[in-house]
Amino acid sequence: MSRSIVEGVGPIHPFNEFLQVGSIPSVWCPGCGIGTVVNIFIETIEKLKVDVEKLCVLSGIGCTGKIIDYLKFNSAHKVNGSVLQYASEFKMKNPDKKVVVFLNDVDLMIAGSDDLLNIGTKGMDVFVIYINNFIYYVLIEHRSLLKTPFMGTTTDMSSASPFNIPHLAKSCGARYVARWTPLHVRRLMYSMRDALQRDSLSFVEVISPCLIYYASDGIVGRSFDRMKLFHDNAVIKHNEPIENLDIRFQDKVIVGEFIDEREK
Amino acid sequence: MKAEVHIIKERCKGCGICIEICQASVLEISEELNTNGYHPPVAKNPEACINCGMCEMFCPDFAIWVTVVKEADVNV
Ligand code: SF4
Ligand code: SF4
Ligand code: SF4
Repeated sequence: MSRSIVEGVGPIHPFNEFLQVGSIPSVWCPGCGIGTVVNIFIETIEKLKVDVEKLCVLSGIGCTGKIIDYLKFNSAHKVNGSVLQYASEFKMKNPDKKVVVFLNDVDLMIAGSDDLLNIGTKGMDVFVIYINNFIYYVLIEHRSLLKTPFMGTTTDMSSASPFNIPHLAKSCGARYVARWTPLHVRRLMYSMRDALQRDSLSFVEVISPCLIYYASDGIVGRSFDRMKLFHDNAVIKHNEPIENLDIRFQDKVIVGEFIDEREK
Repeated sequence: MKAEVHIIKERCKGCGICIEICQASVLEISEELNTNGYHPPVAKNPEACINCGMCEMFCPDFAIWVTVVKEADVNV
């Protein structure tokens, strides 16, 4: 690992140049997977030697929205599901910028799927990282949009039907679709690396459990166990048919690289 | 090739991911508290570090990383 060799420098974290150092530690709960995703994202940017002036990071609402508070990139924070709409407007005005969008359930499933369709069908070069923690809802009737695997202690949760998010991304025109958990660090990094190099809509779903959610239901103890629950229940199946990717209650989560259509 | 583990105690949130992920059992939770009230890890067994970089990749708060110590420096 050549980047670990820091010569003539004292104990400075190698990613400090990409971080708002004063804001760290982050507000995320100890052990939340979002922080690991940010770490992997910065590593990808550093490995690819992406020109950070050409990069624009957007984020939406909720815990995922806090990501840009810790990054020293061009960035914007858009509330209440308008981040994908902003991404498409921004990309139209600045076609030379690489747009990376961090989303959660509200930004995509509740308010942004029409904008994802807009971005995909127009072939815009936007990289969407969707951090799925199965939790977010703004109104009580939104609650059943996403199915929570491995638990179903409340009746309204277990009655929800599963939703296949990679299928949605593919239908909207994404030409790179992958899904990982934060504990698949290297594979997630390779997916981010591939997705960043595409010049159309690329979509990576990261299944990162919300620890608070699990703690309040008394399911498992330590934060690492909660992350590991998803990692251990994931099966890697590259190029799995996109119809099979919905997450069913107490079933295995299929992760992998599902679609990789290169430009001809 | 030897590796050295660096930990910024004040950044750590005590999640323990680095301790769990380390295959070489280098790290251990320490007794001391940082200003946020978390127990940061400590390298109890630094010679065993194999410089895999996993703790660095997993840490959500950029509190831990490894650097390679050059042989010349080790001998001095
Ligand atoms: S564990 Fe849940 S509430 Fe805590 S930062 Fe992560 S997503 Fe947010
Ligand atoms: S670099 Fe690898 S062996 Fe060394 S402390 Fe980190 S996880 Fe353990
Ligand atoms: S992974 Fe980072 S934040 Fe968590 S205990 Fe280790 S050093 Fe602290």
